[in-house]
Amino acid sequence: MKFKSLLLAGSALLSATAASAGGYQVTLAGIKNNGMGGVGVGLSLDQAAMFYNPGALAMVRERGVQVGANFTFARNSFVAEGSNQQRELRNSVVTPVSLFAGFGPQEGKFRAGIAVYTPFGSKLQYADGWEGRTALTDIDLKSVFVQPTVSYAITDQLSIGAGLVVLAHGSVNLQRDIPLPDSYGHIELDGKAETKLGFNAGIFFKPSEKLSVGINYRSKIDAHVKDGDVTFSGIDSPVFAPRFPSGTKFSATLPLIATTSIGFGIMPTENLTIGIDASLANWSAYRTLRFDFTQDINGSKVSESKREYQDALTFRVGGQYKLTSGLTLRAGGSYDESPVKDGFVTPETPDNDRLGGTIGASYNFGKFGVDLSAQYVGIKKRTQTQQDLLTNGTTDRIAGTYKTNIVIPGIGLNYTF
Amino acid sequence: MTTTLFRKTAPMLALLGLGLSACQPDLEKDFEPSSGTADFTTYVAVGNSLTSGFSDGGLYLEGQQNSFPSILAQQFAKAGGGEFQQPLFPDNGFNGGGYLKITGFNNGSPTIGPETANLAIVGLGADGKTPLLSRYDGTGNQNLGVPGIRVADVLTPGYGLNNPLGFNQYFERLLPASSPSTYLQYVQERVATLKPTFFTNWLGNNDVLGYASSGGTAAPLTEVGEFTTKYDQVLDALTTSGAKGLVVTIPNVSNVPLFTTVPTAGVIAQVQGTPIPPELVPVIGASLGLPAGAPLPEGTRFGLYIKTSDAKKPIREATAKDLILLPASSFINSAPVSPNLFPGGIGLVIPGASAEVAGALAAISNALPNNLVLDEAEAKNVATRTGELNAAIKASASARGLAVFDANAFFATVASNGIVANGVNNTAGFVSGNLFSLDGVHPTPRGYAIIANEMIKVINSTYGAKVPTVNPNDYRGVKFP
Repeated sequence: MKFKSLLLAGSALLSATAASAGGYQVTLAGIKNNGMGGVGVGLSLDQAAMFYNPGALAMVRERGVQVGANFTFARNSFVAEGSNQQRELRNSVVTPVSLFAGFGPQEGKFRAGIAVYTPFGSKLQYADGWEGRTALTDIDLKSVFVQPTVSYAITDQLSIGAGLVVLAHGSVNLQRDIPLPDSYGHIELDGKAETKLGFNAGIFFKPSEKLSVGINYRSKIDAHVKDGDVTFSGIDSPVFAPRFPSGTKFSATLPLIATTSIGFGIMPTENLTIGIDASLANWSAYRTLRFDFTQDINGSKVSESKREYQDALTFRVGGQYKLTSGLTLRAGGSYDESPVKDGFVTPETPDNDRLGGTIGASYNFGKFGVDLSAQYVGIKKRTQTQQDLLTNGTTDRIAGTYKTNIVIPGIGLNYTF
Repeated sequence: MTTTLFRKTAPMLALLGLGLSACQPDLEKDFEPSSGTADFTTYVAVGNSLTSGFSDGGLYLEGQQNSFPSILAQQFAKAGGGEFQQPLFPDNGFNGGGYLKITGFNNGSPTIGPETANLAIVGLGADGKTPLLSRYDGTGNQNLGVPGIRVADVLTPGYGLNNPLGFNQYFERLLPASSPSTYLQYVQERVATLKPTFFTNWLGNNDVLGYASSGGTAAPLTEVGEFTTKYDQVLDALTTSGAKGLVVTIPNVSNVPLFTTVPTAGVIAQVQGTPIPPELVPVIGASLGLPAGAPLPEGTRFGLYIKTSDAKKPIREATAKDLILLPASSFINSAPVSPNLFPGGIGLVIPGASAEVAGALAAISNALPNNLVLDEAEAKNVATRTGELNAAIKASASARGLAVFDANAFFATVASNGIVANGVNNTAGFVSGNLFSLDGVHPTPRGYAIIANEMIKVINSTYGAKVPTVNPNDYRGVKFP
């Protein structure tokens, strides 16, 4: 959820009236979790607990390190209102990577670790000449979060943990076409986010061998881009060129909203683990996306676009079964409410409620292990009409029907100390 | 080990491959075009300049290529429509009869001048003033739009015949040489030859526009009875073999830039707010017969004067309800021409003056010529007649079960709210609004595309069809140098 939140937020950032990338990011931290519908708040599976619930890290028996990569194939189709022409993305693959390393004494109550992950790193390139070109043509978001984490087991049943979330690297590249009376110009916004801090904290309680429960809270981070570059091209007419001055800089702030989650782990047998998570993302903090420019662009220093997102819930369920001492199989699913209201859908986040299904497997040989996962996320078909846009004062975006499917194969390697 | 791993994960990888290929969503089947109860196999378009693709004060190739019938035909083709031939100007005369273009800028305001190169003008008519255009020699014309034609003209023999009494050069070039055919006869011939299954008819605008654009000085408003009779004859010709179609109402001229660009109330306020320069006081005093050195009467001020068709009050001060035509913008405040004391449109007003003095003040003003002002009474005549003719159009359409695009209602909405299409805002503003060309009356290609889309919506709802619309932003607004 957090990942998705960040992703969405990221896309929003990009989406001035221009746009951002989609809710294409899904929860992509631990490859094991990925195979189980993305559950993890109430579990203590491995080092990736640092992301899902730092409180559970102290209960992860093994110390170890793991790296993972997710190959995100997003396939989007769009038909503008009244049209019959399907527009598809100039497709690209985005590959978020992650690293989790946990340390601590074998029998001690402390665990420490460091997590590096890319919560949003989306890339959307709309078809040349598509109907929404004046809202967005391209968006490319990259981010790297680094999270030093400590966790302490107060008793054998109860542990707590917290991580300092550092937005270590964030970059945004947003492009759209500018409608001139007899042609199109093009604007590109390119900037880096300032380093910002937040936190990720949790409590983990395991009253019996068969049950565990966790609570996790991730704080809001206001990602801020300052002195980003604004580049214009294709504005040849001497009449219009002065209205789009070169050397303009932009700044923008995007709330990477807070998320609260609760999760349960159920272990009916030694080999079977089932997780159930519910999350609430405080999307209502995202009201508008505003860009401030250092010079007038077409007569204004400000570009503002309504978002008016709503808080949204996510439910996840998944399980794993240890088939042999080496092989573990996983499956799961998720249902993710869209924070975007009707009439507010933008090309950078062609969002709707999502239904996801996942499978996964791990194979261990000695201290090494390989994790594989595959996720299929279907974002429900969504139609917004021009009348919806007029009613909400959101005609800076486009009316039509979006449908997106995402396939994300992932692979992880882990080594246990 | 590797092989084991591969063997165990192979099914999953296969599943992945399957998932990837099935991943691209298909929406097109949800938006399959269809013709409903209409049949778009053969389409003909009847009308005036708006149907021909007239733009920027002229008919030229680019305008023809972006005419609304051309756009409609292109979209009809997706729902069973066939070829659509237009009487296009030849490549060596692609600027047709010429048109207006922006030639430069003066203090940020565009200067507008004529395009004179690559015209299709081949000579002068027998009347010594009408240019002759290169004749269309094809036989398959489906765009029967004739700029300037009124419904009142459709039964006029020789309307397109090169003759000393005058003629319509656009109709002349569609007909065989020396044909005295009426427009109705031409429509009947086209219907017999093409056997259209679908038509559009957007006639009627010039039955009010000629009056309105001349400030009520030329071309009378067509009488309702005459209009209805002739309009019905055209519809009967089109529907004779069962064709279905769309008719279009007449937009009220008070919603187009030709009549709205000069803000009458604003000009009046500006004129009245200008103090009388001291050096003019003695001159004015003398012309009023005041003793030398005497002050002007209390409250004396400048006023905006217009000439009207009202015999009792041929010159009067303008009110906010008078519509000042776009070409008047260069006359207003132009330098006085001797013996007149005042700049263009300006005169003096003395509040409370006797009728005699007021009349004298009006007489010495530099009033706006009658043909540059559609005064309040004339504007009312136009609005009333437009309403009556539109009622006739709707009744005739309804009697024949035809679709009606209420362009009058549509342009009224556009005039007050503009129209946003795919994220791009368009308004009825002159030059900047994207919709109206440089003549202030005819649409740009963008405007024609938006009109075509509105027509498609009406056709779809009337005939249960699913004709797709176009992206209006693929069509330009006003062209800049």
